[in-house]
This record gives sequence, structure tokens and C-alpha cells, in this order.
Amino acid sequence: MKAASDRGREFENLALPLLDPLYNFARWLTYDTAEAEDLVQETCAKALRGFDAFTPGTDFRAWMFRILRNTFLTSRTGLQAKLTVPLDPEDEVSATVTWETPEMLALASATREALQDALAALPPAYREVVLLCDVEEMKYAEIAEVLQVPIGTVMSRLARGRKLLREALAGERDFVARKEANKRR
Amino acid sequence: MSCQDWQTRLEAYVDAELSPQEREAFLAHAAQCPECATATLALAEAKRAIRRTGRRYLAPAELRSRLLTDLRQTGANKASGPYQPRLVHWPRQAMAAAALVLLAVGLFFLVSQYRRPNSLGEFADLHVANLASANPVEVVSSDRHTVKPWFQGRVPFTFDLPELQGSPFTLTGGRVTYFHQEPGAQLIFGYQRHIISAFIFRETPQLAITPTSFSDRSTSFNLQTWTQNRLRYVLVSDVNAATLGQLAELLQKN
Repeated sequence: MKAASDRGREFENLALPLLDPLYNFARWLTYDTAEAEDLVQETCAKALRGFDAFTPGTDFRAWMFRILRNTFLTSRTGLQAKLTVPLDPEDEVSATVTWETPEMLALASATREALQDALAALPPAYREVVLLCDVEEMKYAEIAEVLQVPIGTVMSRLARGRKLLREALAGERDFVARKEANKRR
Repeated sequence: MSCQDWQTRLEAYVDAELSPQEREAFLAHAAQCPECATATLALAEAKRAIRRTGRRYLAPAELRSRLLTDLRQTGANKASGPYQPRLVHWPRQAMAAAALVLLAVGLFFLVSQYRRPNSLGEFADLHVANLASANPVEVVSSDRHTVKPWFQGRVPFTFDLPELQGSPFTLTGGRVTYFHQEPGAQLIFGYQRHIISAFIFRETPQLAITPTSFSDRSTSFNLQTWTQNRLRYVLVSDVNAATLGQLAELLQKN
């Protein structure tokens, strides 16, 4: 009996520091405060129930994010997201990514609002991988574990996602520039 | 590896996924290839921008406490154990409040510990981004009496530069840089073929870094930091810690 409550405390110690990252990720997936809260709560409940299946010493963070993501994908919003976004064939796009300097600078110099909108507009499959890599600073291997896909897929989705972001922001900048030019005319 | 081959690995470099050997080979390549260097800089800046933008929502306190109660209850049900009845005398709210206080304190320490090496890491990023930049210095001068006045009106503070004559260091120049939206000075020193960045910022709580020297093993950079006249100094370079200490001493003499 003591063992059971010790286990509960162990879970608490591991899970509570992840609360903000999990919630942040949930918000970016759902775009809804209440839904994100429910998602995190359900994730914690599921994780605690399944905690015995978690191997101590392995990556707890990846395990939690995986549960959260799977829970999301079976929710109504998640199912819609899955249906509405056809993923490109999982080939190695990274090999064909080309570098165009103005496009690259567009992302680096984008305003926070523009970047926020561009991230939100990204198809979920790309948004999640960019968030896990850049915001959660996970290694490719860890992301592969969360998404349950090979590392090559992580890399190609990442390259594609970032490319889409760059294109969106470069387009946005052109749009603003055109608008200003029109004003001057 | 040719430039074309490297272009597919730039993201892996920025994501710190290259092996140490690959990284070294890449840095050697980038030192001679402005195209790759510029692209890397843009990618690194983009990654930082995404991180800033993506880290946006904090779990509401109410969710936190609800979760905590949930966890405790499930735990208690599992172990309807010996210590449970004793705790029942406490009002539930008092227990929750106490737990929250403990949690807040714990999280505070966790966050502050997590943050420190992290902000040091960001200085290493700034240093690398600058190395990769096409024009690493905005004021090019080895004369401290040129470099120091240049910063007037560009950064909201003033600082003194040491006399480097007779030391193994040379002043290359300086530029304005930003850290957490706060402007600061970045001085570039040379030591043999190495480049050392000295960052100077007004001391802010985010910058309160306790370890004075720090080796980032993942990037193999050495860092050294201290405060002086309410300014935060951070030295970043690939030179060894002893050499970095030498420069730190010179800067502290003022």
C-alpha cells in the first residue's frame, strides 16, 4: 500500500514540472482554453493509470506528450484535424529544400503577431513537429518517440513545416510591402 | 562535403543534432562559405523567434490545483492507508493551499535552475550567430577610445575598456546586440585565431546567473560571467577557461 502512494508521489514529481509545457502544447493543438484544460487533465489521469507501464529511467516527457497527442487525436477536434489535413507523401523533402535568402530572413525578422498567425495556420502535422523541436527543444529521437514515426519522417516534416512558415511570412511581407506601395501611389 | 551537401544539414546543425566531428567540419566550411553562414544565421534566428512565439500559454492555477486534488485522491483511494485518517482533520482547502505553496516553491526552484544554463546557452547562440554573420562588427576598430564612444546613445549605460597592450588579446570591434529585448554591447576580441565575445548588459533578474564559469558541453563553448557596477558581463568563446579568465581579469581591472 505504501508502494502505491509512493508511486503516486513519484508520478506527481515527474508530471507537475511538465504541466506548463503540456498545457502550452495542448493550447496550440486545440485553440481552446477549456479543451486544452480537459486534454491535460485527461492526459494526467491516463498517465497515472498507466504509470506502471512506464519504464523508470526512460523518457518521461516523451511518454507524456505521446499520451497527450494520442488523446487529442481521438477527440473530436483532433479527428477533424486529421481528416482535413492530407499529409504529403513522407519522402525526404529535406533533400530538395532550397535556400532563398529573402525568404529565410522573412522568418527571422517577422513580428510576433505575424509569426503567431503563421504558426497557427500551419497544418497540424507540421505545427506539432515544429513546436516540439523549437519550443520544447526536443531532440529528433525524442520527437520520433512522441509521434511514433521514424526519425527521417521527423526531419522531413520539420524541414517542410519550416519551409511553409518561411513562405507564409515572405508572402505576408510582400503583401504588406504592396499595400504600402499602393498607399503611396 | 560540398556546399550542396551541407545545405541539407544546416537545420540539423541549428537543432544541435550534428555529431561533434560533423559540427567541426561544418564550422570549418561555414567560415569560408558566406552563403551557408548567412543561411545558418537566419535559421538560428528563426528558431529563436519560433521559441519565443511558441512559448505562449501557462497552465491556469485553477487547472493545477484541480489536477493536484485529482492525483491525491486517486493516490489515496489506491492506498486507503495508515496515514490517511490523520490528514482528514485538516480542512481540504488548507491542504490544497499548503500543497500549492510547496508546489510553487518547488516549481520556482526548478524553473530558476532550468533557466540559468539556458540563458547562458542563449549567449552562446548570440556568439555563434555573430560568427556566422556577414558583418560581425558594426564598429571596426582596435582602439578602445574609438569603440567606447561609439556605444554612446546606442546602449543605455557606459563601461570601460581595458588597456590590451602587452596582453595576448586584441580588440576587433563591437556591435549592439539584444537579449530579452534589452539592448547591450557585444565586444569582439581576438586571441590568436580565436574569437571571444564579451556581452555587457544592464543587470536584470533574468540575467542573475549564479555559476561564474560554465562549459557548455553540447556546443563546446566556454562561458564566464560576473557583475560589475551593476552591469552583467558574459564572455563566450571556444578558447579554454583559463584564457577566458585572463581576459575577464583584464576587464575587471577597470
